[in-house]
Amino acid sequence: MKTTSISIFKIILLFCSMIHLQSCSDFLERQPDQILTDDQIFGDKVMIRSVLANFYGRVTWGQHIGDWYSFTVLDEAGKSDQGPDNMQNFGNEHWRVSNYELIRNFNQFLKGLRESTVLNDTEKQEYEGEVRFLRAWTYFNMCRGLGGMPIVGDEVFEYISGMDVGSLQYPRATEAEMYDYIIAECEAASLMLPASTNTNAARANRWVALMLKARSAIYAGSLANYNNKMTSPIRTSGGEVGIPANLANGYYETALQAAQEVINTSPYSLQLTKPDDLERNFYEALSVKTNNTEVIWARDHGYPGEGQQVNFTTMNIPGSHAEDIDRAAAGPILNLVEDFEYVNNRNGDIKIRDDQGNFIFYDDPLDAFANKDARLGGSVILPNALFRGTAVEIQAGQKVWNNGTWQTVTSTPGETDNAGRVITSANGPNRSNEQFINKSGFFFRKFLDETPGASTRGRNSDMWFPRFRFAEAVLIAAEAALELGQQSIALSYINQIRSRAGIQPLAAISIDDIIQERRVEFAFENHRYWDLKRFRRAHIIWNGVVNSATAQHWALFPYLVVAPGTPNDGKYVFDRLTFSNSLHPRFFELRNYYNFIDLGWQNANPKIVLNPFQ
Amino acid sequence: MKNILYTLSIFTVLTIVSCGLDNRDEPESTIRGRVVYNGEAVGVRGTGEAVQLQLFQDGYELRNPVPVYVTQDGTFEIKIFDGEYKLVTRNNNGPWVNDRDTTVVRLQGVTDVDLEVTPLFTLSNVSLALNGGSLSASFQVNQVTQGWDIDYATIVVGRTLFVDDVSYTARRDLSNVNTGVLITESLDLTENADFKNGRALYARIGLRAAGKDQSIYSQVIKIRSLIE
Repeated sequence: MKTTSISIFKIILLFCSMIHLQSCSDFLERQPDQILTDDQIFGDKVMIRSVLANFYGRVTWGQHIGDWYSFTVLDEAGKSDQGPDNMQNFGNEHWRVSNYELIRNFNQFLKGLRESTVLNDTEKQEYEGEVRFLRAWTYFNMCRGLGGMPIVGDEVFEYISGMDVGSLQYPRATEAEMYDYIIAECEAASLMLPASTNTNAARANRWVALMLKARSAIYAGSLANYNNKMTSPIRTSGGEVGIPANLANGYYETALQAAQEVINTSPYSLQLTKPDDLERNFYEALSVKTNNTEVIWARDHGYPGEGQQVNFTTMNIPGSHAEDIDRAAAGPILNLVEDFEYVNNRNGDIKIRDDQGNFIFYDDPLDAFANKDARLGGSVILPNALFRGTAVEIQAGQKVWNNGTWQTVTSTPGETDNAGRVITSANGPNRSNEQFINKSGFFFRKFLDETPGASTRGRNSDMWFPRFRFAEAVLIAAEAALELGQQSIALSYINQIRSRAGIQPLAAISIDDIIQERRVEFAFENHRYWDLKRFRRAHIIWNGVVNSATAQHWALFPYLVVAPGTPNDGKYVFDRLTFSNSLHPRFFELRNYYNFIDLGWQNANPKIVLNPFQ
Repeated sequence: MKNILYTLSIFTVLTIVSCGLDNRDEPESTIRGRVVYNGEAVGVRGTGEAVQLQLFQDGYELRNPVPVYVTQDGTFEIKIFDGEYKLVTRNNNGPWVNDRDTTVVRLQGVTDVDLEVTPLFTLSNVSLALNGGSLSASFQVNQVTQGWDIDYATIVVGRTLFVDDVSYTARRDLSNVNTGVLITESLDLTENADFKNGRALYARIGLRAAGKDQSIYSQVIKIRSLIE
């Protein structure tokens, strides 16, 4: 009771003192130390650089390793942590980007930079190129989700109370104008930017600008081409959505020329440092920064550094290799694994049953993936594959031969039977809601950091996330050449990619081969969603049909065979199952080809027209 | 002492009252209606807010529509304030010819509206019946609007009235569907978990025109009651 009285007394005292607080000097009048004037920034080289660094931190959208869940929304991986994933439809704002605050900040920077006196002309030109590239990149990310949006040029809008806001309201550009603007800006930036490489490919240089030019042109070309081949093309009457078909060839030519410039004259190459171990080679080309010649631009995550590290490894590492409590948040699914071809067979299905429907027995679970595309092992940890030098055990349970039938036995993860053989391995997979247990039968390898300590919460990983890399230039060139009717050139490009993956070259090429090659080459690299959109395939592949081979998520469960006295005892078999944690097949509807315009934007600017299906 | 404090705080909460100026009455009036063709309601997908109409009202600064959700039997209902509204189908949405003409609705109390649409195709002579473990379906597809092709017809079975190409327990898609003739097909349910569990089952026929975002559906038919 006594303590209570004291605390009440204190509260009353505090209350009284607050009432009597008043300012009687200029003690509270201070110059803000968080808001800086243009002079303070553009009069100081270090400040200019730090504004630029801020920009680089604001241009990551869509799928990336800072958001592991983003890998599970398509058909690449599935969510394994705790409760099931209820996702079925794609939202009208899925991965939508509209950031005119950032565009304004870029334009403020350009204005300040051009007036600055502390930089010499070369420095100014390089900075200008860098920011104009970042602005083009921002428009590109807007455009691939929304279609044409207002292009504001170098304008820095200022609202003064009472002014006519009509002068601030810009209508949407057409989709074609938007891509033309991005391409032109990239071209201008490429002439300003240095040709040299920089630390961890973290900053834009000439080649980054050319890559965006090539990518924008190939997007625009394929949109012009494939949208108009739909039964009812998706377009608005003003062209904010929908590019005329006759523009396709021009875009393909631009794409081919820009991609070839990167291929022929840039310091990058299709990294091939370990020709004897193509799996390892592919992993290192994507996930090891040292001596990398593949990656042209990446979102770098540095260590040490203030909060720059990323927790992708922490969240997704196999339980057997975890260094902290987090693990196995998501795992690649069978859909992706089977899309990787065999060395000499384009059908990549894993052989788990023979023609009579009997199990195929493997001495080692890894043998089921023998002769696959080397990129599979470089992108996905397969059952019993090595990570950090030790095997990753992935076993769903045992198949026990019991009176002429196979009985499936599972246990709590990590349990062994009387003979000391593992039933369900500690890593999983299983089909429960349990956290930290794999549900798909595979773990990520691409972007999973092998550095000791990289999977701890305190440190996390300094893994980068590549945005442009040399292989994309090669595949853009292949696609553009194909569409322009240059079959042999297209073949020579795509076969470079296939040869690095250790699979047979193609003798003829179609757009399906391009889609297939991009699917496996760029898994988890924020390409799949945009590719299926621009090829107008998303509504066919993610058709929402239960148990469809492409829309449903599938898992592959390895089992240890327990059949004492038979030759198959101790071998492994596989079951193909639906991925239990994704309850619904993915359903991409026609309305999802373009994000919805926020009605608030239209309220603020009546010149904004809505997208189709809205 | 603590009790006093608690009592005090409860009294404080109880004595917080609103002055009434900032509160509006909830809408009391109702627009009820059907999306119709030739006087018959048009069946649509009733889940996932898939088919929407839009209600606009003039005379205000902003012109954001109020969404009106059409349910599986082609009816809709919305509670809103009295006034004059314009009702229009959502752009490119629904299994009908895209037509943004408005229907004026003068609302006072309760108003019934029939919103006329022109479907691309219609379904007629639909019969759905369970024969043992197999669902027999027969129906006829009629082309109403020229220039459209059929993507697929589908027989869907669900556990509730909400049965469509997204919510279903069994489904069979039929391609190469001809118009103007009676089509007879069946859907085997013997392996279906809900069939084996004796659940109540509902079915209907859907038809998707190529390049359209939605299918047109026949009305839902209950093909089996719950088996206790």
